[in-house]
Amino acid sequence: MNKKLIALLLAAIMVVACFALAACGDKPAEDPTNASDDPAAASDLAYIQSKGKLVVGITDFAPMDYKEEGSEDWVGFDADLAKAFAKTLGVDVEFTEIDWDNKILELDGKSIDCVWNGMTITDEVKASMDVSDPYCKNAQVIVVPADKAEQYQTAEACKELQFAVEAGSAGAEVAEENGFSVTEVKDQATALQEVAAGTSDAAIIDLLMAGAMIGEGTGFSNLAYTASLNSEEYGVGFRKGSDLVTYFNTFFASEIKLGNVDKIAAQYGIAADAIIK
Amino acid sequence: MAAFFDSIQQNFSTFFTQFPVVFQALNVGFLQTLKLFFATLLGALPLGLLISFGSMSKAKVVNKITRVFVWIVRGSPLMLQLLIIYYFPGLVWHKPIWGGGEDGRFLAATVAFIINYACYFSEIFRGGIQSIPIGQYEAGQVLGLTKTQTFFRVVLLQVIKRIVPPMSNEIITLVKDTSLARIIALQEIIWAGQAFMKGSHGISGAIWPMFFTMVYYLFASGILTVLLGKLEKKLSYFKV
Repeated sequence: MNKKLIALLLAAIMVVACFALAACGDKPAEDPTNASDDPAAASDLAYIQSKGKLVVGITDFAPMDYKEEGSEDWVGFDADLAKAFAKTLGVDVEFTEIDWDNKILELDGKSIDCVWNGMTITDEVKASMDVSDPYCKNAQVIVVPADKAEQYQTAEACKELQFAVEAGSAGAEVAEENGFSVTEVKDQATALQEVAAGTSDAAIIDLLMAGAMIGEGTGFSNLAYTASLNSEEYGVGFRKGSDLVTYFNTFFASEIKLGNVDKIAAQYGIAADAIIK
Repeated sequence: MAAFFDSIQQNFSTFFTQFPVVFQALNVGFLQTLKLFFATLLGALPLGLLISFGSMSKAKVVNKITRVFVWIVRGSPLMLQLLIIYYFPGLVWHKPIWGGGEDGRFLAATVAFIINYACYFSEIFRGGIQSIPIGQYEAGQVLGLTKTQTFFRVVLLQVIKRIVPPMSNEIITLVKDTSLARIIALQEIIWAGQAFMKGSHGISGAIWPMFFTMVYYLFASGILTVLLGKLEKKLSYFKV
C-alpha cells in the first residue's frame, strides 16, 4: 500500500515537471492561447505600455551605464538614450542590474524588457534575442604618442614596437594574433601610463576607452590612437519576436538626425566615429 | 629591493584610497544580506514547525505529501530553487509576478529561502519532538491536560533545549547561504564585493573587496555563536 502510494506520487511529480519544462520551451509570441485572449502577448509595445514602464537590464559599465559618485541615478551613453527611448514610448524607465550570464533568462522571464549595456553582437546573442541595428562600434586600437602617430597608422608599421596590454583582455588577444611583443599590465589605464612614461612604445586598448581617456582635454593629451585591429558592434537586445526592435531602430535613426546622439556621445567621451550612422 | 618596497607602498596607498568607497558599498550589500537572513528566520521557524507536524501526522496522505515535499526541497540545490521561483512565473506563465526591480528580487529570494530552510528546520523539530518520551504525554493525560496543553506546557520547552545545537548549525549556515541569492541578481554583500573587479564606483580590477566580505561573515557568525551559546546556557537550568 505504502509503496503504491509513493510510486503514484512520484509519477505525479514527474508529469507536473514534464509539463512545466515543456511550457518553458514555448516562446511567448508563439503561444496561441495567450495571443488570443491577451493583446499584450502579441505586441511587446502594448505589454510595456500596459504596465507603464520599460525595464532595462544593465550592468555597472562606464561609460555606458554607471552611477556618478554619490548619486543613485544611472547615467551614461546607453542610460541617457534609454531614458529618451522610454519617453518616446510614453512609459517610465527602470534600470535593473542583472547577472550578465543570465541575461537571456531575465529577458524571456520578463523581469527585464531589453538588454542595453554595450552588448557586443555575437552569433550567440542573435540566436537568443532580437537585436537592434548596431548603434556603436568598438574595436581594439593602437595607442602611440601623438607626435609619432603619423608613422604608425597601420598594424604593419607597428610590428617592431613593444606593446603594453591589459592582462587577459581582448587587446591582449589581438596582440597575440598579430604576433606583437607585449608587456602585460593590470588594466587599460596602466597600459596608457606605460606609453605616456615611455616604458612601452604603444598600447592596445578599446576604442570606447580611447575616446574617453586620451587626446586633447584628457589626462593623456599627448597620446593618440591609430589603427584598429578588429571590430565589434554593439546592439540592444529585445525578446524574440518583439516589435520594439523596429521602434528602437526608428528612434535611434531620428535621434542621430536631430544630433542628440552626438551630443550624448561627446558628453560621455565616446569618439564620434564610434557611432554607427 | 627599493622597487619592491615602492610597490608595497603603492599598494597600500591605493588600498587606503579605495577603502572608504568599498566600505560604503559593502555596508549596503551587507544590509541586504542581513535583511534576507532575518526575513528567512522569521518565516522559516513557524513554517518549519507546521511542516514538522505534517510529517508526523497520522493522516497518511498528509504525512506522505509532506515527506515528499521535504525530500524535493532538501534534495535539490537551493540555487536551482532560487532560479525556479524567480524566473518560472515569467517563463512558463508569461506573468513576471516578482517584477524586475530589487524589491521583487528580494521578495523572491526570501520566499525561496523560507521554503528551503523551513524544510531543514522541520526535520530538526521532528527529531526534537519525537525525542520526548511518550510517558510525558501519558502523564499529562492522567493529570487531565489535553494533548495541546501537554505539548505547549510540558513538551515544547524541552524540545527547544534539545534543538538549540542543531539549530545553531543551520542558522550559521543560513548566514553564508544568503550569498546564493546573487544568482537572481540580489545585490547582497558578495555581489557588492565582486562589482569592484569589473568596475564600479570608479574602481576596477580590485580583487580585495570580495575577500574582505569574509570579515562581515565572520563578524555575523561570531555574534550568532555567542548569542546561541548564551541561550544554551540559559536553558541548562534543568536537565532532560
